[in-house]
Amino acid sequence: MTHNAQRKLFIFVCLVPAFLFFCLFTIYPIVRGMYISLFDWSGSSEHMTFIGLNNFKALYEDPIVWKAIGNDYFLVVGKVIGIVLLATLFAISVTRLRIRGAAFYRLVFFIPNIISIVVIGVLWRFVYNPSIGFLNAFLSLFSDTPVKTPWLGDTGTALWSILWPSIWAGVGFYFLLLVAAILGIPASLYEAAEIDGASQATQFRRITLPLIWEQVKVSILHIVMTTLNGSFVMVLLMTEGGPDNATQVLGSYLYQMGFKQFHMGAAAALGVVILALSMLTTLVLQLLLRRDPVELS
Amino acid sequence: MLSQPSKFTKTAAQLALVLWALAVLYPLLWTLLSTLKDNSQFLAGRPWALPKSPLHWEHFSYVWRTYHFNDYFLNSVYVTTVSSVLAILLSATTAYVFSRFEFRGRRLMYGVYMAAMMIPMILGLVPLFFLLDDLGLINKLTGLIIVYTAWSLPFGVFVLGGFFRSLPKELEEAAYVDGSGYFRTLFQIMIPMARSGIVSIAIMNALNNWNEYVMGTIFVNDPSKYTLPVGISIMQAEMQYRVEWGPLFAGLLISMVPVVFVYIFFQRRIAEGIIAGAIK
Repeated sequence: MTHNAQRKLFIFVCLVPAFLFFCLFTIYPIVRGMYISLFDWSGSSEHMTFIGLNNFKALYEDPIVWKAIGNDYFLVVGKVIGIVLLATLFAISVTRLRIRGAAFYRLVFFIPNIISIVVIGVLWRFVYNPSIGFLNAFLSLFSDTPVKTPWLGDTGTALWSILWPSIWAGVGFYFLLLVAAILGIPASLYEAAEIDGASQATQFRRITLPLIWEQVKVSILHIVMTTLNGSFVMVLLMTEGGPDNATQVLGSYLYQMGFKQFHMGAAAALGVVILALSMLTTLVLQLLLRRDPVELS
Repeated sequence: MLSQPSKFTKTAAQLALVLWALAVLYPLLWTLLSTLKDNSQFLAGRPWALPKSPLHWEHFSYVWRTYHFNDYFLNSVYVTTVSSVLAILLSATTAYVFSRFEFRGRRLMYGVYMAAMMIPMILGLVPLFFLLDDLGLINKLTGLIIVYTAWSLPFGVFVLGGFFRSLPKELEEAAYVDGSGYFRTLFQIMIPMARSGIVSIAIMNALNNWNEYVMGTIFVNDPSKYTLPVGISIMQAEMQYRVEWGPLFAGLLISMVPVVFVYIFFQRRIAEGIIAGAIK
């Protein structure tokens, strides 16, 4: 075999089977999902009727969809604020404020990221359990009568009760990301600031924040994406969208439409809506979060 | 003279860190303590209380056997191992070719892998279900292995691509001059050199697949084929109904212990792998 033929064979064997396999099980379903969104389909192949954009029209007129979108963005905003603030605070503390035990905090804070979402969901359901839960027992200490609040069963508290575990589970990852970013800032910048007599607060505002802005931005975008695309798992595990759709998000509604009610077309259309919303939100955020890049000379 | 942060700032920051560490660690401790309690202790309204003797260690063996946790555990081990190994093999070969060879369609193929990282998996769930059904892979562990492998490829291709690009080219060139073929060079020289990246990716994939829930619950409905997360979610509904709280916590603990050990052992690699995947 000639050298060139060997090279081609090598590239082909390494690349093509994996690529075809990948396309069949990821790209094809995604494209097919967009196609199915144009049909009325219950899942059995005989009755698949083309109805154009009618699925989207029905979703547009469905108040639950709007409720779900609102809930999605509630979780997005809540998680972005909660996680970014806490992660930044903790990261500054173990680096710039030189608080001891950085290695310990890095080890511990990340633990929720390695535990299955199912375990987290079940654990927090126990925290919120009205009769044997941790939260009510704790609140009862400060009240004359035992507290029996059904945190996940009340339309006023359910969504907040899902937000908190999501923040709890998310902080560690972004904490590590920001610690790495801060440690990457050249020490000479801080030394120069010290000589000029800049306070810690000024150093944070003029050095740390501008130089980790890129990672803060990445964190925000990452939280937005993972929340819009993945928060439904927590919802399914904790409330299944209830009570009265108070915690319904687009993803959990998709699951319900597709795998409980067998409206496959509508479910696929919801998938397209999720994709469109997450792309649109990312785009808008990238424009909003743009800052003049800081050049290190 | 160094400008020290004020005493107050430092104390407040220290306090916040300690509180958060407690918020993370306490639920784990609470899980262990709750495992050893019986129902009367759960209903006593003091969930922070230490378990009273006798300690109910038998809750572990109870979930293990009565709730078929042994099956779930083995299914999870099997699916996780095979899909992680497959994903590493495919993504390492793909990443190597992307990083070292020029050929037509390279940018397009790389673009397809990267675009897939951005697209929500949920959009493909419905069609994927029917695709697996057509292939006879619903309710099969093989189906899960295939799906997990495919969905972990982009991350591996991306991170390992960066890894191979950072390796010096001289060794490969020397190997080729010595008459070593492409495959031998890849498997005997390049892959061993990229070992640390490969191990990181393998651990990351294994953690993700061990914990995966959504696809596991949609594509497998046969109780003998459940993975641990799916088993737990089904079991917890049943146990709440039958008021078997202690055993439920034992189940949670069984699924957590392996990952926590792997994490403590490979902490640095896991953190590096995750950051490498997120930053660029």
